[in-house]
Amino acid sequence: MPGKSQPSQARYAVRTAAFLLLALPWSQLAAHAAESTPPILEAMTAELDRAFAELGHAAQPAAAGKQLPPYFLSYSVQDAQVVTIGAQYGAIVNSTTNRLRSADVQVRVGSAQLDNTHGDHRGTAVHTVRLPLTENREAFQRLLWVATNAGYGAALDNYLRVKTESEVRAKEEDSSADFSQEKPQVHVGKPAQPVEVDRAAWEKRVAALSRVLREFPEVYASQSMLSVQNTTTYYASSEGARIVTPYRLANLVVIAMTRAEDGMDLIQMRTFQAETVEGLPTQAEMERSVRQMAVQLAALRKAPVTEPFNGPAILSGRAAAVFFHEVLGHRLEGQRQRGDKEGQTFTKELGKPVLPEFLSVIDDPTQAVLDGVALNGHYSYDSEGQPAQRVELIDKGVLKTFLMSRMPIASFAQSNGHGRAQAGRMPNGRQGNLMVTSTRTTTEAELRRQLIEEAKRQGKPYGLYFEDISSGFTLTQRAAPQAFQVIPLVVWRVYADGRPDELVRGVSIVGTPLAAMKKILVTGDKPELFNGICGAESGSVPVSAVAPALLVSEMETQRQPQGSSRPPILPIPQDGRQTGPQGTSASGASAAAQQQQEAQ
Amino acid sequence: MKRVAWLLAVVLSMGAVGAEAEKPATRADAEKDPVLRAMLKELDRSVEQLQLPGSLKPYFIQYRTEDVASYTARTEFGAIEGAGHAHHRVVVVTVRVGDRKADSSGSPADATAEQACVGDDEVALRSALWAATDRAYKVALASYAQKQAALKQVQTPPQANDFSEELPVIALGARARLEVEHGIWPERMMRVSGLYRAAENKKLAGGVVDGARAAFEAMARTTWLVTSEGTIVRKGTTSFEETFAASTQADDGMRLTRSYSSTGASVADLDAEEVFEKHAEELLGSLGDLRQAPLVEEEYHGPVLLSGDASADTLRALLSGVTAMRPRLGTEARTVGAFASSYHARVLPDFLEVVDDPTLKSFNGKALVGAYRVDDEGVTGEQVKLVEGGKLQGYLIGRQPVRDFPHSNGHGRATIVGPSRPHISVLKITPREGMTNEELEKRMLEIARDRGLDHVYIVQTLGGVQFPRLLYRVGTDGKRTLVRGAALDDMDNRTLRSSVEAAGKDLWVANYTDDVPTTVLAPALLVDDVTVKRANEKNAKLPFYPPPR
Repeated sequence: MPGKSQPSQARYAVRTAAFLLLALPWSQLAAHAAESTPPILEAMTAELDRAFAELGHAAQPAAAGKQLPPYFLSYSVQDAQVVTIGAQYGAIVNSTTNRLRSADVQVRVGSAQLDNTHGDHRGTAVHTVRLPLTENREAFQRLLWVATNAGYGAALDNYLRVKTESEVRAKEEDSSADFSQEKPQVHVGKPAQPVEVDRAAWEKRVAALSRVLREFPEVYASQSMLSVQNTTTYYASSEGARIVTPYRLANLVVIAMTRAEDGMDLIQMRTFQAETVEGLPTQAEMERSVRQMAVQLAALRKAPVTEPFNGPAILSGRAAAVFFHEVLGHRLEGQRQRGDKEGQTFTKELGKPVLPEFLSVIDDPTQAVLDGVALNGHYSYDSEGQPAQRVELIDKGVLKTFLMSRMPIASFAQSNGHGRAQAGRMPNGRQGNLMVTSTRTTTEAELRRQLIEEAKRQGKPYGLYFEDISSGFTLTQRAAPQAFQVIPLVVWRVYADGRPDELVRGVSIVGTPLAAMKKILVTGDKPELFNGICGAESGSVPVSAVAPALLVSEMETQRQPQGSSRPPILPIPQDGRQTGPQGTSASGASAAAQQQQEAQ
Repeated sequence: MKRVAWLLAVVLSMGAVGAEAEKPATRADAEKDPVLRAMLKELDRSVEQLQLPGSLKPYFIQYRTEDVASYTARTEFGAIEGAGHAHHRVVVVTVRVGDRKADSSGSPADATAEQACVGDDEVALRSALWAATDRAYKVALASYAQKQAALKQVQTPPQANDFSEELPVIALGARARLEVEHGIWPERMMRVSGLYRAAENKKLAGGVVDGARAAFEAMARTTWLVTSEGTIVRKGTTSFEETFAASTQADDGMRLTRSYSSTGASVADLDAEEVFEKHAEELLGSLGDLRQAPLVEEEYHGPVLLSGDASADTLRALLSGVTAMRPRLGTEARTVGAFASSYHARVLPDFLEVVDDPTLKSFNGKALVGAYRVDDEGVTGEQVKLVEGGKLQGYLIGRQPVRDFPHSNGHGRATIVGPSRPHISVLKITPREGMTNEELEKRMLEIARDRGLDHVYIVQTLGGVQFPRLLYRVGTDGKRTLVRGAALDDMDNRTLRSSVEAAGKDLWVANYTDDVPTTVLAPALLVDDVTVKRANEKNAKLPFYPPPR
């Protein structure tokens, strides 16, 4: 009964299962255990109950004194197995399997109205500890005890600070509580199976993808990386939540870099994702895609540098998806509407139009697949044990709600199942599957025709076509929460006089990109999907964004700041036989296979 | 932290060289190794062709490839936390422009690192070298220009050249191989970290163990080095280490931590299983003793006896500055650090002698991790007399000369991705007439009586140079009491010079497997006047609730 059981019933179920174990023969026991409470959930629940009962209540050493009991305690255990295979310059640089179990202990003292997580102290409420990989209950509980002890000590300390600070400061603009009241959920899913990867075969495949780039001497640096992870999250709270959810992701990314003669660094990447490695595209498809990317990178290197421009533009569906995720989605996170350090762009816009009325935006983590492709931002319970919800953020252009964790804000007191975090971080309101839909659509050809028309109308020689855009985070691997920049990677000039389209490089979007959103004239009729990893204060979480192509009447761009370093002085080393850009992948793959054998 | 011995390489290379000692290795021999072949090919190309039009060519290029394979098994409270293999390779490139008198060194171009493939794919290896070389060369050009400008700003010219001339060496030792029976280690380490249970029940006097970790780590490192001067080196080293660490709190909240490790160049060098477990049990017992030990007195000034173990840590900290480093431009200094102006001056009592000897591979049957045949700049390691009759006679030096020391003595050493720096290898401190432990204690008590002190101190082990982990108060009647919460003061070079009263006759072997492995062979030291005082560290709260049982 997912989401329906009461905590007392859940505990009863646990006890019943434990009792049955004693009576069953071993073979049945194993089968039964698989369906009932996993040992990890049982051990953490036992320690959680013990800690919650004793902290602040137990007979303590006199030196400890009388302490305030916690009003909330939760354990979130991540059991992750990750297989990573990386290649560079056509050969394997690393190939590892990591198994990691860790627990995030969250302790809250005070009251839901005001607790130790208030204001700047939010991040201090989570304590993380590494856990054993075997089902050694004694060690398991001892380590949870160590982390709970430390977490409780820190919570007491921070609560004292919070109280002092709240006494001396002026009344806060948003006087919402610090923690929402929610119904505890019970859902014991099946733990994820161990990762199954034919390592030797995938080492060859990853090396072969990297080797494709050897055909392109202008690719100065590259990285090909496969990571396959199977993770099970176990969540238990003092409110009675008991949740077990599996998660699987196979991610293969190929990044290629070059530098133009004038010193401008250029980068392109291709990402392939599926639930398991079996779901990834065929080797031939991936190699084709990587080769296309390299061809485009080589073309980009020779492309003219952009000039300042303010005029009409098309964003491809993929570019629009990234654009909406970065520019709109992050600003709709609940916690950004509270606190004087936040921009609060949309805080007072509730019920008001923020987009043209033909556009609606939802975030729906409950959707697992779109047109046969797995959605990265799918989950059934968030990091605070709340069930994922489909949320209508913007309806016909009007702002309806925010992405809510259990941190209330003035306009909303409840979570809507978007409290997300990577292991070790405090959950915040985050996106899952952001989906933009439109009621004013047209075909791609018509969109292009209208772009040219709009350019002519504005007296511009050309309009811009943004084929690919990256988030600043994806490129720099740095979370810059206030910025959430978008960096155009592939941009074309679409000439009004019928000349062929021209690739340009160095385009950067000027001013607040939010302004462009209100100038959307019409959209394409095909939603496109972007699967990626998103970074912010609560860490990296998998996300998806879906949007159709967009025509905007005005997009202001300028030349991006660039480095002044020269391209490499000597050409990159090549195989004995010179392989031109037309070289075949077959030779690359077999050479990689041979190299692997040598490496054994 | 003390870690291991990694000597296998040297031993292996000796074996290989021994077989054909009369026939020195050649470049042709080196090119049979695919890694060296790729490195030499790319080096040749860089030497011939690398030049930015209108700029200087490099006058020196060095390529180093490091291959590190490791296996680790970590356990805590009797359960495995992680176990597995890792393997990676990096290339580290040095490019110098200018000339020996004044060049670009002292910049990131001294060590530009790039990840490399773990197999022997020639194009991939060369590509990594090419990328690092290109970066290093550009940085070197910029540094050289800056250096030339800086030279014009000062009246006093540099006291020595920037780079020494050395004979090229070709030394081809064996690659290191990681040979670990990895099946057994998780079990063994789990058993050791699980010993806390019995200790908590019996020895800890009501205390609670809040940390008990045991870990095993094995590493094999192969280094390949080629230079534009013709040096070609291949060397391999292995290291093995098992550690146990545990912690608790005293009833006043004081944190009590102890650790023990066994290190070696092969598994055979490590403690036998039962010996290691016995050490772990003793260590847990000592936590119980420490919990009940009285706090150290407010302050004490008087003689202190440092055991060989404590003395090795102290001497390593105070003497590791006997290195020749380039002084600040425009000054007349010879080198930098505590011994910058100590050449031929007194630095120790006249009964102590110090040598640094990388050729010393073992001592009393124990493998020494600081030993090597060729250093990380391709120079053969030499025995260096540092202190004779208490006076400083020389410095440890790499290829960066200082005034009066124009050549390397084979002490240029590098971390895996860092530049080389002069470093101690096997530092041996020998007294002319050493005493037995009994004689040292007797002498200490005599001093106490002369000064009217009713007790003295013996430092058994240190956790960081300032903080004793096992410290005994010894009454003038000879009665020993373990005390806790102490810090040492005044343990500096001045104390070393003028306050060392006597030294033990046996040398303690301390292997430190840091990023640059070193060994110290040190006698116990009786120091005439040391301050022992309260450490006054923060005492954390005791557990808010009891541990699970």
